[in-house]
Amino acid sequence: MNATDALKPMSPIQVAQTRAFIDGLEQGSQTYWDMVEIGDELSREIELTPELVILYADGVEDYNPWYEGWRMNTWRIPGESPFGGAIVPPLLVSHFVLSVQFDHTKPFAIGSIHTFHDSEILEPIPVGSTVRITTVATDKYEKRGRRYVRHEVTVTDTASGTLYFRETRDILSL
Amino acid sequence: MSADPRFAPIDRDTPVGFELAPIFKKAAIQLMGSRLWGRFNPNHWDPVYAAETGLDAPIQTGEMSSAYLAEMCVNHLGAAMFRNARMVCKYVASTRAEEVIVCRGVVSEKTPKGGGYRFKIDIWCENEAGEKKTVGWAEADVGV
Repeated sequence: MNATDALKPMSPIQVAQTRAFIDGLEQGSQTYWDMVEIGDELSREIELTPELVILYADGVEDYNPWYEGWRMNTWRIPGESPFGGAIVPPLLVSHFVLSVQFDHTKPFAIGSIHTFHDSEILEPIPVGSTVRITTVATDKYEKRGRRYVRHEVTVTDTASGTLYFRETRDILSL
Repeated sequence: MSADPRFAPIDRDTPVGFELAPIFKKAAIQLMGSRLWGRFNPNHWDPVYAAETGLDAPIQTGEMSSAYLAEMCVNHLGAAMFRNARMVCKYVASTRAEEVIVCRGVVSEKTPKGGGYRFKIDIWCENEAGEKKTVGWAEADVGV
């Protein structure tokens, strides 16, 4: 029997809080397939702060010092890498594409699964940069009874215009 | 860079067939459900919701395994992994909570380019039973 607390210890109040959070996520949620039309373009800016980079890297237990523009005790630092100061991990911006291609003004299409990415890492991204992530829905297709949505992605520096990153990615929709 | 045990550089003399040093990760539910990673989608951290959508356990976001593979590639390619590089991943099976994942890679092609080479590396994640979860390849210019 599955239980919310099956994989980590929780008291009854923690279980209740978790169920309430999930109920909130499901309110008004559509399938991703129904949310997206081919040609849809979405774009947002994000500042890649030192703290954001640390949160990303810690989640995957990647402790490469090149990514450290923040360190406990000293806090914000310039950092060091072969490119000068601290840089962001190669696929960090790919992770934030999700927050662009899923229209953040609408309830999240929970139940969707990322299945594929083809990522070009064109230039190193300094920690502290502000980038613009742009996604265009280029295809919706069915394969072996499953529904997929394809996007093309670009990531550019808002100040210099440098094209840092390009990607093709597929999402499996419920 | 070679003095740092973090790095084992691929250089112009590295042959096709060279095996990258594997790295191990555990699909820990606390990390899978962290705000920056999977919190927005309970398939990534809640057993009840996962079961309702047909999964036998919460599954990791595929992007976590891509990040693991990128870490392995940076260990060997260093700065080359941040300029004119490419990484392609297909998530062929789900990584379930509590699984231990091993990331592996093998140099599959080495093409002369400029004064150096463009390396292609087959990369994948598998569990301890050898079941592949993520498969793909990475490319980077070395000494170009």
